[in-house]
Amino acid sequence: MDQNILESLSGLDRADLPRILSALPFGVAVLDAERRTLFLNRALESLTGFSTADVAGVFCRHVLRGSFCLHGCPCLSQGGESAAPDACGESREGTLINRHRRKIPVRLTSLPILDRAGNFLCTLDVLEDLSALKDMETRLSISASPGQMVGRCAVMEHLLRILPAVAQSGSPVLLTGESGTGKDLLAEALHRFSPRTRESFVRVNATPMPEALLDAELFGQAEGPDGLPRPGKFQLAQNGTLYLSEIADMPLAQQGRLLRLLDEKAVLPAGGDRPMHLNVRVVAATGRDPEEMVKAGLLREDLFHRLNAVRLHLPPLRERGEDVGFLLAHYLKLFAAKFRKQVLGFSDKAQALLASYDYPGNVRELRNMVEYAVMVCPGETIQPEHLPAHLRFPLAAGATDAAQALPAQGKPSGAHKPARKKA
Amino acid sequence: MGKKILVTLYRDEVAPRFDLCSEVLLVTVDATGHEVRRQDLVLAHSSADDLCDLILDREVAVVITGGIEEEHYHYLRWKRVEVIDGVAGLSGEALALYLRGELEPGAILFKGLSHE
Repeated sequence: MDQNILESLSGLDRADLPRILSALPFGVAVLDAERRTLFLNRALESLTGFSTADVAGVFCRHVLRGSFCLHGCPCLSQGGESAAPDACGESREGTLINRHRRKIPVRLTSLPILDRAGNFLCTLDVLEDLSALKDMETRLSISASPGQMVGRCAVMEHLLRILPAVAQSGSPVLLTGESGTGKDLLAEALHRFSPRTRESFVRVNATPMPEALLDAELFGQAEGPDGLPRPGKFQLAQNGTLYLSEIADMPLAQQGRLLRLLDEKAVLPAGGDRPMHLNVRVVAATGRDPEEMVKAGLLREDLFHRLNAVRLHLPPLRERGEDVGFLLAHYLKLFAAKFRKQVLGFSDKAQALLASYDYPGNVRELRNMVEYAVMVCPGETIQPEHLPAHLRFPLAAGATDAAQALPAQGKPSGAHKPARKKA
Repeated sequence: MGKKILVTLYRDEVAPRFDLCSEVLLVTVDATGHEVRRQDLVLAHSSADDLCDLILDREVAVVITGGIEEEHYHYLRWKRVEVIDGVAGLSGEALALYLRGELEPGAILFKGLSHE
């Protein structure tokens, strides 16, 4: 380290300043006015893989190799000259690539050091390794992502495998499956994996309402109450994806307009005379059997065939076999992280209860159960008493072996059926 | 049989980061090592993936660059592209050294500061 700068830094003749800097738990680089490297402390040597001897006099951009070095270095002007000292001082996050070809997230704070007369002496670049924080952030954001679809059974694996290709295709998609199986998540995933991902994802719930109102809601109005054109859901989804969460709720008249929209890629707003060109991908879902709906006259046959070009069926949880155990573990981890609790697993009895339940509400019900259990569990292991009452009801009758005590039942139809032993 | 050498650029230096480089120098040399063509390519945007594609599309044999992520390094090596990475110095000097067979990975070429 340059002794003159060192002396000026401390105002004293202190030869131990490098040792002091090296004792700091974060990386420190001392740079001259041209941002050439004078000194790296031990933490930064470890982070970058370079020793001070290797890189003394080398421009810091070749040592730190930070994302902030090439574009927007806080201490260099556009022309590459050193900027005024007061231009430094702010913190910024980025990455560096070290000598071992590892990309490391870091936070850089550049601090200009001035002498007593206010003259620039050197810059201290302080780098904090954010790897651990970023890892945790990524883990939590992935776990907590609302669009996250998980599953290990053969059907789900097949579905997840073809999902990216279907998403890329741009064709209309029909999603079928019982309530709580994840149709909404699948629709979001289709949008997220599609080239339209940066555009809008508009969800439409065609709840019963006067047809004229629904028409305006869906297809817009040429002239709204304020005299201005009022965009409908389809216009709002321009270039993006429109998700019809229950196609059976849509009146037949609107189904006809939707069919024309799919064919002509244009829509005529209510009260308008000029069709508006639309580029919208339609994803429709239903919890019922679409063929039965067509027979019952609830779904137009031509629209059904148009949507049915790509059909994805989400199986109910009771048909997903090993996924129950996998999903229990998945949501336990997710909610333990979310609630910052050290809940590590289920007791044997709780596991037996959960494994023998039919989950008429499918994944949504399982997820809610685990959320509740993690919330009320005070220790590391979820016990039967931490599960919702309707699930542990048979245990309250005095049975000791949960699996044996559960009465055999048929296929569940209600949302709150007591647990039963699996065949 | 000639070959193509690609040097990632940051101004007149070898770019310190492969993934952030937005300009490359593409030099074709003949079997005797004489330069027969030189192109300066400005990239639409910085992207390590796109740069790998360009390297393969142009049938580049050698890449001279600064820091490169392991994933891209091994990908290029797997595609039989020689990668001389970790080079800190002027691009012209790095290229000249390579053509003389003297450029090593990790070379620091700034005058009077070589420590390799």
